[in-house]
Amino acid sequence: MFEDIPVDVSPMYEGERIRSANMFVELAGPKSMGAELVQVEEDVEDGKIEVIGPELDAMNEGDIHPLGVLIEIQGEHLEKELEGVIERRTHELCNYVKGFMHLNQRDAIWCRVSKEALEAGFKLEHLGKTLAILFKEEFPLIESIAISILTEPAKVEEFVSQAQEEYQKRDSRARELSDEDVDVFYGCVMCQSFAPTHVCVVTPDRTALCGAINWFDCRAAAKMDPEGPIFEVEKGDLLDDVKGEYTNVNSIVMEKSQGTVERVFLHSVFEYPHTSCGCFEAVAFYIPELDGIGIVDRDFRGETPLGIPFSAMAGQCSGGKQVEGFTGLSLEYMRSPKFLQADGGFERIVWLPKEIKDSLDDYIPEGIRDKIATEEDGSTIKDIRSFLEEKGHPILERIKTASSEVPEEEVTVEEETPEAWDETELEGVPMSPVAYAPELTVPSSGGVKIIFKNAKVYAEKVIIKKK
Amino acid sequence: MIIAVSGKGGTGKTLVSSLLIKALSDTEQDILAIDADPDSNLPEALGVDVNKTVGDVREELKEDTAKGRIPTGMNKWDILDYRIMESIVETPKFDLLAMGRPEGSGCYCAVNNMLRRIIENLSSNYDVIIIDTEAGLEHLSRRTTQNVDVMLVVTDKSKRGMLTAQRIGKLADDLEIKFKELYLILNRVNTENEEEILGKAKETGLEMAGVIFEDDEVTKFDIEGRPLVELPNESNTVKAVSGILSRIRSN
Repeated sequence: MFEDIPVDVSPMYEGERIRSANMFVELAGPKSMGAELVQVEEDVEDGKIEVIGPELDAMNEGDIHPLGVLIEIQGEHLEKELEGVIERRTHELCNYVKGFMHLNQRDAIWCRVSKEALEAGFKLEHLGKTLAILFKEEFPLIESIAISILTEPAKVEEFVSQAQEEYQKRDSRARELSDEDVDVFYGCVMCQSFAPTHVCVVTPDRTALCGAINWFDCRAAAKMDPEGPIFEVEKGDLLDDVKGEYTNVNSIVMEKSQGTVERVFLHSVFEYPHTSCGCFEAVAFYIPELDGIGIVDRDFRGETPLGIPFSAMAGQCSGGKQVEGFTGLSLEYMRSPKFLQADGGFERIVWLPKEIKDSLDDYIPEGIRDKIATEEDGSTIKDIRSFLEEKGHPILERIKTASSEVPEEEVTVEEETPEAWDETELEGVPMSPVAYAPELTVPSSGGVKIIFKNAKVYAEKVIIKKK
Repeated sequence: MIIAVSGKGGTGKTLVSSLLIKALSDTEQDILAIDADPDSNLPEALGVDVNKTVGDVREELKEDTAKGRIPTGMNKWDILDYRIMESIVETPKFDLLAMGRPEGSGCYCAVNNMLRRIIENLSSNYDVIIIDTEAGLEHLSRRTTQNVDVMLVVTDKSKRGMLTAQRIGKLADDLEIKFKELYLILNRVNTENEEEILGKAKETGLEMAGVIFEDDEVTKFDIEGRPLVELPNESNTVKAVSGILSRIRSN
């Protein structure tokens, strides 16, 4: 298939680097410019390979030249949306060519040709021919393919700006990619060394808690490192589109958390929130008195409305625990259209550090932006409440309607024996909070286990005595 | 072949690393030097400037991610790959990758995982890799040196230098890190203390790869800040390290 290509073509050359000491020329890269672009066209002259500008044999050793690679494809079932996916393969396919190094993608490519390849008679034209064959082989949807390789500086410059326009269009489409548009999410268990039951579920609408990897990164990682800590999760059947619950996500999380976590709601802090590793960028926490949600990030040093700083809160809900009322999240997730959508999204947020709020200017709906308190407006429940009242935060409606029920303290009683349980009235006298715990198990006997969730311990007086 | 040079700080790891590279650079092989000690001065010893370290690349990526500067359709793996390649100092004789400072606050699991794979892949393109490890034992417990073929432990006559050497040997055993070979190199030996030091060295139980004597020329280079690779080929120290290299390679 590659008999007229003077160098070897094989996947075994993937990852080949050419040291400057062994290099004939460098193309694109940090000292020059370049781009690659796949375009779906109606009319493509199949097999047409064109080199516009100097060929390798017209270059001098050690030269650095710009490079443009335009790949035009045509096929009855080819859609414009596939351009990005197909273009992504350019990196791998170029690397099949022995003596040709290719790094990165789009307008940030960096290529080198080895002295050895040049000596063997390799030309850019051969690169074009090879790519044409490989692309057709990889994507049977491609019926005709034409490749232009540009090395003429003025032409490359023009091409790069044309390509950048295309990338921008593609990115705005990618930003619109949502959980519904894909069949596969990704799971990441990289943090299990210190959070053994934590499984991060990464979806187009939800980046990993650490903020380091999004759905696209996971797709790349699962491919490049199939045995690695990031794996595909077929999402399965949709159980709840608002909360974000899927059958197969549940079963994979169950399996990978060693049976600890049975269900996960991707977009809620209530009932079955996503577990938290320990290295999340921020935590969303429920504030019972306001029936709202606060957010605090790692860089915030002060106290939160719960009376504890980020570090203390992180300590309580991290390590792979599923703690209702808390969920670790990435700052990027706050830019997601599904951000805690089951809980009301930003309408439910009552407090967040100013720095975060400012960085989210374009993402917090305009009507609510000025109504969310920051540490400058107050960090105690009382101050926040008066701020919310002053600004007319929509949460007030919730507090009003809910005031008859007063869901301040949730008491979960798990009965392990069928014995009857007399309910005790908990009288609310004005007292001050002395302790706070997202989950508190009270030692008890008689076959019952009492678990307080989001417990706040109020007392008139705390006495500390020496034994 | 991957050779790591370890030992207590100040015992001469960088001297050994840089002269190993000097000795190797006439062999027409592809050589990668990795400066894994944030406090070392391997680049200076090799006479090259480092513009960007792996640590800088890691921080840069964290910042770009936090500020939303990475285009949606691009993945960080490829971006890191490019930036690591960019941080390599390339010379006709060898290439150098500086690891830089360890990470700051926040989670680096994902980035470090990607970096590890990228550096592994990068390394596979070289015939010989010399790692100037950080002082002490950290690199062993963090397993950054687990694929090493030859571990060289450098010590001077000091008790602590010897102890560190001994511990490196023991820790490698305890952690079940299997180096193909583990050798001791004695540095700054002089004719008066030679016997005594050799005696102490025996007590460490490590096999000896060679002895480097005190060398006024090396001291002079150090004081003047001249690259150690510029030491003349007739220098006894240069010859001693070449000898060590041939001993390692013949095994």
